[in-house]
Amino acid sequence: MSNALRPYLAAVRSTLTAAMTLENFASQVVERHNKPEVEARASREVLLTPLVISRNENERVLIEPSVNSIRLSISIKQADEIEKILCHKFTRFMTMRAESFIILRRKPVPGYDISFLITNFHSESMLKHKLVDFIIQFMEEVDKEISEMKLSLNSRARIVAESYLIQSYEACLHDLPTNPPTHTMSKRPEICWLDGGVHIVENRWSRVFLSTPVKSG
Amino acid sequence: MNQAPIISDNGSGFSKIGFAGNSDPSFVFPTAIATREVATGASTVRGATPASRGSNLASKRGIEDLDFHIGDEAMANSKTYGIHYPIRHGMIENWDHMERYWEQSIFKYLRAEPEDHYFLLTEPPLNAPENREQTAEIFFESFNVPGLYIAVQAVLALAASWTSNQATDRTLTGTVVDSGDGVTHVIPCAEGYVIGSAIKHIPIAGRDITAFVQTLLRERGETVNIPPEDQLKVAQKIKESYSYVCQDIVKEFRKYDADPYKYFQRYDGEHSVTGRKYSIDVGFERFLAPEIFFNPEINSSDFLTPLPIVVDDVIQASPIDVRRGLYKNIVLSGGSTMFKDFGRRLQQDLKIVVDRRIQNSEAAAGTNLKSTGVDVNVISHKRQRYAVWYGGSLLASLPDFYTSCHTKAQYDEIGPSICRRYQIFGSVN
Amino acid sequence: MILLESHSTIILNTLTEKFTNPSTIDIQFVDYDGVRFHLHTPDRKKTEILLSMSIRCWGELVRYGALDVIGREYGPYVAPTVEPGYDVSLAFDTNNVPQGEDQVAFIKSVALLKRNALAAPFERAFAEQKALESTPAPTDGSPRAQGQLMQIHYRDEEAIYVRASHDRVTVVFSTIFKEETDRIFGKVFLQEFVDARKLASLQTAPQVLYSNRDPPLEIRHLPGLKNTEDVGYVTFVLFPRHFSALTAEETISRIQLFRDYLHYHIKCSKAYMHSRLRHRVTEFLKILNRAKAENLGEKERKTVTGRTFSAR
Repeated sequence: MSNALRPYLAAVRSTLTAAMTLENFASQVVERHNKPEVEARASREVLLTPLVISRNENERVLIEPSVNSIRLSISIKQADEIEKILCHKFTRFMTMRAESFIILRRKPVPGYDISFLITNFHSESMLKHKLVDFIIQFMEEVDKEISEMKLSLNSRARIVAESYLIQSYEACLHDLPTNPPTHTMSKRPEICWLDGGVHIVENRWSRVFLSTPVKSG
Repeated sequence: MNQAPIISDNGSGFSKIGFAGNSDPSFVFPTAIATREVATGASTVRGATPASRGSNLASKRGIEDLDFHIGDEAMANSKTYGIHYPIRHGMIENWDHMERYWEQSIFKYLRAEPEDHYFLLTEPPLNAPENREQTAEIFFESFNVPGLYIAVQAVLALAASWTSNQATDRTLTGTVVDSGDGVTHVIPCAEGYVIGSAIKHIPIAGRDITAFVQTLLRERGETVNIPPEDQLKVAQKIKESYSYVCQDIVKEFRKYDADPYKYFQRYDGEHSVTGRKYSIDVGFERFLAPEIFFNPEINSSDFLTPLPIVVDDVIQASPIDVRRGLYKNIVLSGGSTMFKDFGRRLQQDLKIVVDRRIQNSEAAAGTNLKSTGVDVNVISHKRQRYAVWYGGSLLASLPDFYTSCHTKAQYDEIGPSICRRYQIFGSVN
Repeated sequence: MILLESHSTIILNTLTEKFTNPSTIDIQFVDYDGVRFHLHTPDRKKTEILLSMSIRCWGELVRYGALDVIGREYGPYVAPTVEPGYDVSLAFDTNNVPQGEDQVAFIKSVALLKRNALAAPFERAFAEQKALESTPAPTDGSPRAQGQLMQIHYRDEEAIYVRASHDRVTVVFSTIFKEETDRIFGKVFLQEFVDARKLASLQTAPQVLYSNRDPPLEIRHLPGLKNTEDVGYVTFVLFPRHFSALTAEETISRIQLFRDYLHYHIKCSKAYMHSRLRHRVTEFLKILNRAKAENLGEKERKTVTGRTFSAR
C-alpha cells in the first residue's frame, strides 16, 4: 500500500465505523414498512449529512448515513480507456452476482462506479468491524486487480504480436544468402511454455543470422 | 452475414458440435480439457480451482491459459497435462474450463467467427437459471455472439422425432427416454416445457450394459481368448454390433437352444498391440445385454424397476390432462436406445401395463362402460444417437429460430437475466 | 493454441474417412470470414464427392487470378460446372485419388482450399513487385510506377487492400470492432504489433503500422471509406525477403488470417479476464462471509431425553 493510500483508507475506515450505528427503524410514512431510509428518502429528519472522502478527483467515496442504513459509493481510479473498460467489466461482473454479495447494491449511485447498501439487518447479523474490513479490502484490491489486469493485457498483446511476427522472422531465416549449417536450420526459434509465462526463446543462432547481410532487404 | 447457426450440445461425457442444417454433428469428442494445472479431485468443486492456483495468479503475465487441448487431443495429451471434465451430471461445474473449451471448439474445430453465427446450446432439465445466466455472460461478452438460444435437451429430442414416419404431427408433448453412457432419464414434456416434478432417473445405461456383456462372456469362459486390455473394447463392440432386443426372453432362449448354429455368431478380433488374431462365440448376450432395461434383476439387485414401469410411473405422476399425449408420443434418444426393436419391446410392455390398469378400473367401476383405450406409441427414428443435437439442428433451421433467440442487443440492454425467459417455438400446436 | 491453422479440420477429417471408406454424405459448414462449404455426394453415388465453396469476394478474387491458382493447385479435380449457390467446386472420385502418402498430402491441400483462393491477389502482388523492380527508375524524377491496387472485400464491412511497388508490397487491412471492449482491447493489441518490431529478434519482421479512424495514404483516395471511431487500419509492409520463393507460402497463409488471429486473441483475453474476475469474486465473497456472525447465539440446547428446542 502506498503512503498516499493509507490515510485515505484510514479516513474511510473511521468514517464508516462511526457511521455504522444503525438501529431498527420502521417507516414513519407507510405503516408496517421497514425500508432503508437512505433509499426511501421519505422522512428527512432520519437522514444524516452525506460525506465525501476524496483522494483526488477520480478516487472518492461517498458515505450517506441514515438511521437504519448506510449507502457507500466508490469511484474507482480510471486513468485511461483500458482501465475504464476493465473497471466497468469488474463492477458489472460483481453486480451480476449481487445476490451472493448481500450488501452490494445492484446499481451504483450516479457518478460512482459501485455502491454498497448496509442496513441494520446486515449489521445485526454480521460483525460490524468485519464488514468495514471487507469494504476497505475491496477498495485496496480493486485498484490492484485493475492495474494487474491491464498489465497482463499488455503483456498478452505483446506475446501475441510477437508470436505472429516471429513466424515471418523464422521464414526469413530460410532466405539467407549463405546456407547456414543444416543443423541450425532445424532449430527454429520456438515459443516454450515456462512457469512464469511464455518466453520466446531466442534462437541460439539468431545472432549469426542477424549479422549476416540479408540478400534483398 | 446470414450464416448457419452453430449447435453445441455439451454433455457430461461427449460434446456434439456442428452447424444447423446438417444431419450429424461435425465433431463428437469428449468434454474434456487438458491443462497444465494439476488435476485434483477437488477441482470439480465449484470455485475450488481458482483458489488452488490463487498463489501464482499474481505472477500470471503470460498466456499459459492458451496452453491446453480439448476433446480427443486432450485424451492424447493426458500424460503431460491434467485432464478435467468441466461438466458433471450435465451441469457445468468449472466455468473457467468451459469457457476455454468453447473457445477452442469454435476457433480450432469449427473455424467460425462467433460474431457471425447464432448459437444454440443445450441444457439438462432443471438447470439452474444462474447457470443459464453465466452461459449467456460468456457467450455475449467473451464471444460477442449475435444471438443465443438455450434449449432443454429433452425438448430437442422431441423435435428430432418429427423426422420419423411414425410421428403424426409436430408436437412438443411427449415422454423422452434418454439413455446415454452414464444414466438413463425419463422426462415428460408438455408443450415444450419439462414437467420437472415427474422426471425419473434409472441407473442403468450404456456403461452397465457393456459391463454386463463382459460378465456374461467371462461366465461362459470366452474371455480366455481375449487379451485382457481388449476386453472392454470387445464387450463394447458386441453390444453395438451384435445385440438386439427380443420380444420374449423365454422364447428366445428356446430358439437358441433348438438351433444354436443359426443364432450364435462369431466375433473376430485382433490384439491391439501384438496383432494376434482371436475369435470368440457371441451367444445369449446378443439379446440379454439390452434385456437389463426390461428385467434389471438379471444384472444386479440395486435397481429392480423395469424401464416400462418407470415410464408408466413418470406419466402417471404428470398432470392428468397431458397423460394421453405423453403415452402417445414416447421418444427415444441417446446411443443406448439404438438396439434393434428396443422401441417395439418398450411399447409392447408398456401397453400391457396400461391395458391392465384400464381393465382394473373398468372392473372397479362396475358399470358396463368401456374405455376407448389409451394409445401407447414409442417412436424410433434414424437419428436417435445424436437426437438432441439433431433436434437442435432441425429447430435452428426454422425461420422462427432467429426471432426466438436472445440477441446481443437485448443482452446489452437488460443483462444476462434475459436468459431466464425461455421461449418455445417450432411446434404446430 | 496461439496461432490459428490454415486448413479446415472438417474437410481434413471427412475426406480422410470417405476416401478409405466411401459412403454418402451431405454436410455444410463454414470457415472464417463467411466462407461456406458444401461437401456432398450428388446423385447418391458413394464414390463421387463434390466439394463446393462460396466466398464473399469471389468476383474480386477471380479478377486477381484465383482461377489460375485453383487450377494450378487442384488441376484435374476442378469441377467443370459449379454447384449453384457456390463459387467453385472440386469433384473427386474416390476410385481415382492419390493413394498412400500422396493421399495425405492431397487431402491436406484440399483442406487449404480457402487459403489458396485467397492467396491469388497476394501472389499477383508479389509477381508485380518483381516486375516493377526490374524496370529501371524513370530518370526524370517522376515517381516510379506502382502496381494495381487490389481490393478484397472479404467481409461485409472489412476489406484487404494489396498494392505492389518497386521495392515492397503494402497490405492494408481495415478492421472494425463491433463492441467497445473489443475496440479497446484491439487497440492495445495493434499497438503491440507496431511496437514488436523494436525487438532485436523481430527486426526482420514486416513493418506494421496502425491508424485509428484515418485511412492510410495508400487507400485514402478510395470512395466509401469509413472514418468513425470503431474503424482501424493496419498496414503491413512486406519486403522482398518476406515473399521469396521460400517464404511466400508462409507469409500468405499468415497474413490472410490476421484478422481472425486478432479477434481470436481478443476473445481469449476476455475469457482470461473472466477467469480472473471469477477468482477475485470468490475471494471477495470469502472475505465478506467471514463477517457473517456464525453461531453467535447460544449453542443448541437439549433436554435430557435428547430433544431440542429453540426459543422464538
